[in-house]
Amino acid sequence: MTVEQQTVMTGAETDALLGRHETGVLSLARGDEPYAVPISYGYDAGTRQFCMRLVSTPGSQKRRFLTDAPLVRFVVYEETEAAYCSVIADGRLERLPKSELTADHVKRYGTAKRPLFEMWGEPKAELTIDLYELDPEELSGRRIEVD
Amino acid sequence: MTGGTQLTFHCPTCGESMAVNAPMREALLNHGCVVCGTPVPQSAFSAPEPNGDTEC
Repeated sequence: MTVEQQTVMTGAETDALLGRHETGVLSLARGDEPYAVPISYGYDAGTRQFCMRLVSTPGSQKRRFLTDAPLVRFVVYEETEAAYCSVIADGRLERLPKSELTADHVKRYGTAKRPLFEMWGEPKAELTIDLYELDPEELSGRRIEVD
Repeated sequence: MTGGTQLTFHCPTCGESMAVNAPMREALLNHGCVVCGTPVPQSAFSAPEPNGDTEC
């Protein structure tokens, strides 16, 4: 691959990329132990916030890393014949208590692709689904034009 | 939650149960279960139990 040009994406370009995708990779850590997992998300370009449903089972690795407000990095990327683009969001993932849900939350989560419950062997009723929101402290996109 | 609690929502897919008001009911019918993302039928809403105990 010949790299032609690397550019910083504008806010509008970043919003557009996040709007046309439904999944990304969420990275968490405990001490020096990393954990990354592909997840589905919803994105509100108006507020530049993400909403996520995180599914876990008792004793799962994911649950060990998910505290109420972990610092995270979330990555969404795409590759076409002409360019490779990526968006990185850094910030604190805030758990949304179900007792605080509003109609606006329901609308926002309606934009997020549903979790792939089929991945788990357990019945849905045995899975824990927690709702999280990410209001990134930093949100940046880059594009690399390729030959 | 504002708007007054009027109904109990019970998702037939994920089993989530919560007290909801009218705007929440409309949002759930239009956008699906906020927890699991699956479509919500009209039958997922019922009047609260007489003792008023609902799990949010």
